[in-house]
Amino acid sequence: MTAAAASLDALAAARQERPATLAEATEVLKRTAHDDERVLFLGGGTELSVGAPPAAVDVVLATERLERIVEHAPLDQIVTVEAGVRLGSLQDLLARSGQMLALDAPWAARATLGGLVATNAFGPLRTRYGSIRDLIIGISIVRADGTEARAGGKVVKNVAGFDLPKLMVGSLGTLGFIATVTFRLHPRPESARSVLFADLDAEGVRRVVLVLREAQLEPGAVAALVHEGGDDLGVRFDGRFELGVRFEGFEAGVRQQSMKLLDLATRQGWGAESLGAEIARAFWARHDDARESPAGFRAKLAAQPMDLERVANGAIGSLFTALEVPRCVCYPTLGLAFVAGEVRVPGQVAAAVNAARDAVPEGSVVVHAAPPEVRGAVDVWGPPPAALPLMRAVKDRLDPGRRLAPGRFVGGL
Amino acid sequence: MSAPSLVTPAPAPPPVPAPPGVVERLIAIVGDKNVIREPVDLRTYECDALTSFRAAPSVVVLPASTEEVAAAVRVAVEAGMPIVPRGAGTGLSGGALPVPGCMLLGLSRMKQILEVDLDNGWIRVQPGVINLDVSKEISAAGYYYAPDPSSQSVCTIGGNVAENSGGAHCLKYGFTVNHVRGVRMVTASGDVVDIGGPVLDPPGYDLLGVVVGSEGTLGIVTEVVLRILRKPEATRTLFATFPSTTEGGNCVSEIIGAGIIPAAIEMMDRLAIQAAVAATGVDWPDVGAALLMDVDGCTAEAEHTANVAVSIARRTGALEVRVPKSDDERTLMWKGRKSAFAAMGRLAPNYIVQDGVIPRNDIARVLAEIARLSQERGLRVANVFHAGDGNLHPLVLYDARVPGQEHAAEELAGEILRICIRYGGSITGEHGVGADKAPYMAEMFSDADLDTMAKVRCAFDPATSFNPSKVFPTPRLCGDRPGPYRPHATELAGLADRG
Repeated sequence: MTAAAASLDALAAARQERPATLAEATEVLKRTAHDDERVLFLGGGTELSVGAPPAAVDVVLATERLERIVEHAPLDQIVTVEAGVRLGSLQDLLARSGQMLALDAPWAARATLGGLVATNAFGPLRTRYGSIRDLIIGISIVRADGTEARAGGKVVKNVAGFDLPKLMVGSLGTLGFIATVTFRLHPRPESARSVLFADLDAEGVRRVVLVLREAQLEPGAVAALVHEGGDDLGVRFDGRFELGVRFEGFEAGVRQQSMKLLDLATRQGWGAESLGAEIARAFWARHDDARESPAGFRAKLAAQPMDLERVANGAIGSLFTALEVPRCVCYPTLGLAFVAGEVRVPGQVAAAVNAARDAVPEGSVVVHAAPPEVRGAVDVWGPPPAALPLMRAVKDRLDPGRRLAPGRFVGGL
Repeated sequence: MSAPSLVTPAPAPPPVPAPPGVVERLIAIVGDKNVIREPVDLRTYECDALTSFRAAPSVVVLPASTEEVAAAVRVAVEAGMPIVPRGAGTGLSGGALPVPGCMLLGLSRMKQILEVDLDNGWIRVQPGVINLDVSKEISAAGYYYAPDPSSQSVCTIGGNVAENSGGAHCLKYGFTVNHVRGVRMVTASGDVVDIGGPVLDPPGYDLLGVVVGSEGTLGIVTEVVLRILRKPEATRTLFATFPSTTEGGNCVSEIIGAGIIPAAIEMMDRLAIQAAVAATGVDWPDVGAALLMDVDGCTAEAEHTANVAVSIARRTGALEVRVPKSDDERTLMWKGRKSAFAAMGRLAPNYIVQDGVIPRNDIARVLAEIARLSQERGLRVANVFHAGDGNLHPLVLYDARVPGQEHAAEELAGEILRICIRYGGSITGEHGVGADKAPYMAEMFSDADLDTMAKVRCAFDPATSFNPSKVFPTPRLCGDRPGPYRPHATELAGLADRG
């Protein structure tokens, strides 16, 4: 927990505000606006290391007491929550109505919905349901100047006004304080079954992705873990993956789809097996461990799905060589992956980040956690996006004093 | 908003001439025949499918490339002319309505499909490409583009991006915004910028999320990267009739409550059924309500959900349940639904179509309120709606030749929107705010909400050159651009630095 801890030390000196109501939160923001103070918003603290460390923070506004479920309308399949509601407790509540928020991001017990929106977090269900931007339908924010504003609404279909909820997704608390969020919900699937490919190279994983599509299969979740090809010297990257494909829905469809995939795998000569509930749980638990276990370094890789070999050999391979106890989770239908591990030689890790960026020039490698020595050697965000001038203009309009987590976002915003 | 009418609305006042030199500069960019400036030719562009609002542009430019768009935008901005983009002009909210004195940018010549990448699941197109042509391009390979507005055989992708268009199948598959991966856009400064692209999660703010659905107020989109999907293995269609919309609405609620996400679930009331029968010859009975539903997915799942839906329909009081026996029969059923607006011409000389949204569970209550208003005002209202997501399309029928009736119809349509707002819904689910519903924005949103949206608009377009007088209820100026970043006092004192 090096980088996060470092910035948290700096935060310790800041004044802590823990409003119990949205009105109190608005008061805090009005006061900080009046006093020209810099503010950092804090949810469950699971992703504090994402972004550059803020230049300075005078006030930490924690959402931990803003944990009201404002409205759950099961028949309309929507829920509105305050920012501090934890993902896990929300899912427990929704399960009682046979529903779920189709978001299985890591650290569900601690992570708050406000924080998840601010960091654009996701898990394997993104395969089927899309990301937070596809689930969020309304938001209320408090602007840097203390003004309360909302956009979107509580109906799924709505094109009145600009879609500001999406603008707030992934904005890391640099555009405004997320006060409440409204999501669309989905029915909890009646049944689920996983098919596991125990040992594939990157090309094999990529071909499974194509076969799934060609065969018109619609998995709920697809994730690949880097095969543990380690020996006494530690884990190394041998280019092999363990791939899990989970079908969810009504039992008839789940059965048909998993049988069809097994059949196709047999014909291709890929060793695949349909997992019993227990073994399936073990695979997805390994996935969760790889995403959630503490790491001094973590990076998110994005590329086109068909570039998986280049990502594996160029990006994942480089990072695995530089990191201690490295691990990787890959979402091959999405073209997204996370690599994590410990840093022994910062210069090597920084060089590996640059090598990874070179390997996927049209994609991105964003460092989510790293010690200061690595952050000093590479920009955690990578090269500035083409639309940075527009992003800067948006920031200037919504936070002209640059008081919300100043410097944390892309391009020093 | 009035649809095609037998009474021709009064023509717009004659066009304001473009400032001196503008036409010549535009001709130098796109060529003589692509600069339309004769008053009689400009008439074609004075409205979109919302024909009751009309204004003549000063000049119409028909560019063929991103570079030409950028050059034309620079000319207009320098001349202080507003810029209004237009696709096929099928919009129902006046989004492409010219502003007097404007340069109208017609993007219909930009209709090339630039690149197809089936394996990575995307297609890159110019904005003038017709929605349905995207699916046609990739259909043989087994792929399609999901958003399917009823006008999909004529409307363009650029217009869909501007309006965040939906369609019958967006209940399961989402709206345009869920299917746009990236755009190339000409900004208010005449620069060309790429926002997003084929790769997911590009670092930075999700500008794409606000550009899609911004109704041409943030920039001119000149290329779009669209997500494409593999066709589902099986689709099952179901048509069920009910004594009234109450039973129909209960059926929808129970289907959704059973954990089924239909690909589409549409309801029509008696008047809408009669119109569809008259227009397309579907053999639908004269009943109080009909549901048309698609479920899709793998064969076993589609079969299972169709069976469950049939039994729910019977249990909730269906008079009859039909399952089409052939693709032709299915196509005809959907044709009946998709032609519902146009079919209203059979029932009344004029009509106003609304696009309000309500929480799905309030459908019966809201329909009862609409029926009460309809009786009180002596105006018939037909209802066609996307029942799965509570998106109503009430059609207020009237005869403009009867003095006062048009005004009464407009008032009734407005009250329907107020009902939607009162139930916590929205004034528009897929048609856009445009010029038509801009006044109602102030009833749905607070000043602070609108001010926040306006700040975002000003970030993109500080001079509000792009499509002014749309979306926002009152004209808004951006004021002085906020100053550059000034270091905080503690930074100057060396107490903190910017990492």
